[in-house]
Amino acid sequence: MSNLVVETTSREVPIVRTGEWVDVENGWLDRRIFWQDDIYALELERIFARCWIFVAHDSQLPEVGDFLTSTIGQDAVIVSRGEDGKIHTFLNSCSHRGNRVCFAEVGKARRFTCNFHGWSYGLDGGLKSVSRPQSYDGKSNFDKAKLGLHPARVESYKGMHFACFDPAAPSLEEYLGDFRWYLDVILDNDEGGIEFIDGNIKSHLKCNWKFPAENFVGDSYHAPWTHGSALIAMFGKAPTMRAERSYHANVNGHGWEFGLDFIGNAATLNSPQIIEYLRGQETKFAERLGKVRSRMVGSLSSANVFPNLSFLAGHNTFRTWNPKGPSETELNTWVFLNANAPQELKDEYRRGVMLTFSPAGVFEMDDGENFENCTSVNAGVVTRRQMLHVGMGLDSQIDHDELKGNVYQSQINEANQRAFYQRWADLMGAETWADVPVR
Amino acid sequence: MNQSGQVASCDNPAVPIVLLLEIQQFLYREARLLDGEQYDEWLELLADDIHYWVPGVQARYRKDVEKFSAGRMAYFDDNLEYLKIRVARAKQPNAWAEDPPTRHFHLVGNIEVEITENPAEWTVHSLILNNRHRTENDEMEIKARRLDLVRRDQDGSLKLARRKVILQQTVLQSKNINTFL
Ligand code: FES
Ligand SMILES: [Fe+2]
Repeated sequence: MSNLVVETTSREVPIVRTGEWVDVENGWLDRRIFWQDDIYALELERIFARCWIFVAHDSQLPEVGDFLTSTIGQDAVIVSRGEDGKIHTFLNSCSHRGNRVCFAEVGKARRFTCNFHGWSYGLDGGLKSVSRPQSYDGKSNFDKAKLGLHPARVESYKGMHFACFDPAAPSLEEYLGDFRWYLDVILDNDEGGIEFIDGNIKSHLKCNWKFPAENFVGDSYHAPWTHGSALIAMFGKAPTMRAERSYHANVNGHGWEFGLDFIGNAATLNSPQIIEYLRGQETKFAERLGKVRSRMVGSLSSANVFPNLSFLAGHNTFRTWNPKGPSETELNTWVFLNANAPQELKDEYRRGVMLTFSPAGVFEMDDGENFENCTSVNAGVVTRRQMLHVGMGLDSQIDHDELKGNVYQSQINEANQRAFYQRWADLMGAETWADVPVR
Repeated sequence: MNQSGQVASCDNPAVPIVLLLEIQQFLYREARLLDGEQYDEWLELLADDIHYWVPGVQARYRKDVEKFSAGRMAYFDDNLEYLKIRVARAKQPNAWAEDPPTRHFHLVGNIEVEITENPAEWTVHSLILNNRHRTENDEMEIKARRLDLVRRDQDGSLKLARRKVILQQTVLQSKNINTFL
């Protein structure tokens, strides 16, 4: 394991041997993928600059001029509702000298004007005006149409807007594939869809972004152990996860681990009103989603849309893990609920998530600790040479009449984590999207 | 203080020095109890109707005044029941992030006491510096501005009835908040 696996012949064409990093067949991971600068740099190019990255939910930007700022990998972007009513995403960096253009996290604007020399951009990122325009008059190399803020493609699925900087990437629809069928469990269990609650919580973790992402894609194994303290504090014991009534399911590296217990996650929100609401909707959920998926609406579960959009059904929280370096990650957390749900439930969900899954929450409190230490130990060269075991449930794949994608028996499993790393390796090893297989 | 943290304003005649000292000592003692993880004693300092609130802070343009509306996302938006659940977790022997224990440090300063319309309640401003060290080199620091409502209880003791904590950071520069501010 001592040979160098990234040989960068030029900035554009790194040679990658992903098979040495991720051995999905036998369930092994090379720790260097959580530590090395060159691997991280390649992730920014081949994953974050090529994948569909979640940027906003429709309800966050209801009116023309509403905007928020975010990041795609380490690229700062502005996400705004344009005059055309559509969501636009473009770099938050001026075309003149590169200065950051927008400094607010959220707000309302008609223009984004650069503080340096006053170039001014529209809600779609196009260059609208410059200060002292006469200085540019008649200059053939000054074409406003070419000087807008560099745009990303934006496509949406049921109110969730994703952006992608790669013109050659497949459509969002193809990218999500059959995972859309799973996403409907939260996005479409009610005809009104969902809405996000105002505001967000951001925190900084000294960990590699993949540890939390893989935790959400499949690691229910850690829950009774890591979160034993919270479970005992709230319920006196850990909930039972039943192998025969629970699954891992994944599509293209997106994954959801879940039981069919309907309210297991929701029950930790400490709110009888939420349970009552879910129980009251049970028949309706089943009508819209069918029996099996309706049992997932609030069940013991966790999920991740590749690469970095995690969510918990039942807790009703979305979060993104934004890379800030090989061992630095910024977590952004939101809470959502059904738009048609009684609005009194807003506070119940919001306060319930803060009690459980925020940096001060009784569950999340013990997560950051694990992610950070799994990362920092790799400063040791000998430590870094030791492979990590990701081999639980190697033979657990099943055929299921209803569940789509790759399905595995039991949520205590590492099948989704392997699928996550397989997708990671596929992208890291691929020169273009044409080389990335559908999984 | 209403839901949005606004203090009902009134003239601010000098608060008797004895009372000022008593309230200062109340806050210092509270800080020491938190430093020592004496959470049951800390809970005793809280009024039954406590509202303990640490809203998320966002960077916004001046024209778009930050309002801290009540329905916003927050780190804490707790009543006594919620605070007790958090304490119950911290006290479990398998609360892994608490063992080895955190070395807590709550520094309270810039204490200012103002009277309110209720003769048994005072508005108290303070700044807090919370520093946490754990294991060998894990260090986290939070600085914040606090707005409290302190109440004289029936039995004569002081109780914390409201607390609003405005963090300096928009992005919390620590993996968790395993303390109270
Ligand atoms: S850098 Fe923006 S106008 Fe010059
Ligand atoms: Fe966890």
